[in-house]
Amino acid sequence: MPKKALWLIILFTLLFVLGINTGDLEYLLNLGNTICLSCIGVG
Amino acid sequence: MVGLRWLVQTLVTLGTNAYLLFPFGSVIYQGPLKAVCHPGLNCYSCPAALLSCPVGAVQNFVASLRYTMPGGLPHLGTMVIGYLGFIGTLVGRLPCGWLCPFGFIQDLLHKVPLPKFSLWPPLRWVKYGVLVVLVLILPAVLVDKAGLGQPWFCKLLCPAGTLEGALPLIFLKPSLWATLTFYFWNKMIILVLIIIFAMLISRPFCRMLCPLGAFYSLFMRMTLVQLEFIEGNCVGCESCVRSCPTGVVPYEDPSSWECILCLRCLDACQFRALSFGIRRPLPTPAKRYETAD
Repeated sequence: MPKKALWLIILFTLLFVLGINTGDLEYLLNLGNTICLSCIGVG
Repeated sequence: MVGLRWLVQTLVTLGTNAYLLFPFGSVIYQGPLKAVCHPGLNCYSCPAALLSCPVGAVQNFVASLRYTMPGGLPHLGTMVIGYLGFIGTLVGRLPCGWLCPFGFIQDLLHKVPLPKFSLWPPLRWVKYGVLVVLVLILPAVLVDKAGLGQPWFCKLLCPAGTLEGALPLIFLKPSLWATLTFYFWNKMIILVLIIIFAMLISRPFCRMLCPLGAFYSLFMRMTLVQLEFIEGNCVGCESCVRSCPTGVVPYEDPSSWECILCLRCLDACQFRALSFGIRRPLPTPAKRYETAD
């Protein structure tokens, strides 16, 4: 496995875990459960 | 390989847009799967969508950064960045070619029997501008009094949002007609243009405007898997070039930023001059020992 890819995989895994521990998951869930008004061109 | 790709694209598009209860309950799916981002571009306001849109998620995290700061725990969106970066490092733009529902729609549109044209190459750089300006800078900079920004890519440009989100929702909720603004009509024009272009040019949105493809492409030189060119087997027939939907020349640059790893070139090459597999580390150059005179 190339070293650069290995380091990037470790870095992004850490970022992912950090995000889960700082509440990104709940934030994303709330976001996804509401209709995005920008997506449909309202407001 | 081509048949397998069509099958995967069909299954992923239908499987991730499989919420068929929307006419009977709440207008969009609101279950726990919405905490997971789709690896491709798929509007989370689509009534049938089961997953969230990664580009919409990144923009909303950036847009709410200042708003969440006073609470002491700003949401940086590192979960989504980590998720997309992980995918990008593993397989680069492979999700564009195999998993993206909007890419699949463009592939279907390109089947329409009309004259085909190639894309003017400099236009491919526009998508990096879209990523930086509409996804990262404007949502962070243009904020209201409360410190809340807007997802400007969704608002101004995203044709997937118009096709998969706006049009079905307006059909389901006709009362929305009265609330439509300039932004809707602007995006409708963009959608119509993209549909027309997709019939004439292969994957115009992916190649010109998609910020997700732009992000994944940054990893193409260092992905875990790669397309490899075996020079000794090449006879120079250029069948790989003719088969490529994104205008890549595989024998010159098999790790091109534009390659969506659809692997059509692999099928096209009858001489096995291209292979797909785990990237091998570059050989370490031999040490040179200098002798003193």
